[in-house]
Amino acid sequence: MSKEDNLNENWKKDFPIKKQESTQVSRRDFAKFLTFVSGGLMVGSGFVAAKAYFLPKEGVQGEHFICNKDEVPVGGTRGFVIEGSTIPYILIHLESGDFRAYEQKCTHLSCSVFYKPGTGIIHCPCHEGSFDAMTGDVIAGPPPRALPQLEVFFKDNAVYVKAMAENKES
Amino acid sequence: MSTFRRSQNRANPNKLNNILSTLIFILILNVSIQIWLLYASLNNALDNNKEILLPAFIASAVLFLIGFAWLYYLPSGNFKKK
Repeated sequence: MSKEDNLNENWKKDFPIKKQESTQVSRRDFAKFLTFVSGGLMVGSGFVAAKAYFLPKEGVQGEHFICNKDEVPVGGTRGFVIEGSTIPYILIHLESGDFRAYEQKCTHLSCSVFYKPGTGIIHCPCHEGSFDAMTGDVIAGPPPRALPQLEVFFKDNAVYVKAMAENKES
Repeated sequence: MSTFRRSQNRANPNKLNNILSTLIFILILNVSIQIWLLYASLNNALDNNKEILLPAFIASAVLFLIGFAWLYYLPSGNFKKK
């Protein structure tokens, strides 16, 4: 018997577990595992609820100056970040003359969205998601929610944004 | 004292098969519903709709408790002779 074989034998004595036994999952164990997963999902749901109630997401505070009206041409966009935050936003000057400001993160997987001039559609190139540029609602593709929106208002020629007023009815 | 378990464990393997398959089927069903609840509550939390979160958590907890209680009916098999 070679040294190698001998080592193998000793190893087997120390750990007398057959490979077949270690990889086999009994139905009893599977049922217990499913219950464990079920408990995990319950904890996850609880965590989501607790976070929403006790640590709510802080909205945009106050009014923020972005740029002057004439700096964004019709059909053009301008990216901006609000002070003290890292969330990217885009300001869109629609063909109808309206200004809209949205979070520039697709609600699907947070890819950067961009405005397609002339179409009224905000597009996400990652998975072909489309949003309505007027309202932020999902038109097509996988995004599950509308784009978060900021309210745009003007002071003379200057464009400002603030948090959207609560309108749960819409 | 004779409980249901003694007779359950003495049952025909076919019957044990049925019991286990049914248990696992119900558990998978519960877990699927819980995944759906978690997905829905996450989406609503990100959309600032808080109304649905607590009912979803309660439903999830009830499903877990059902699954946990369900394990009581898990047969231990009739192959072990004591």
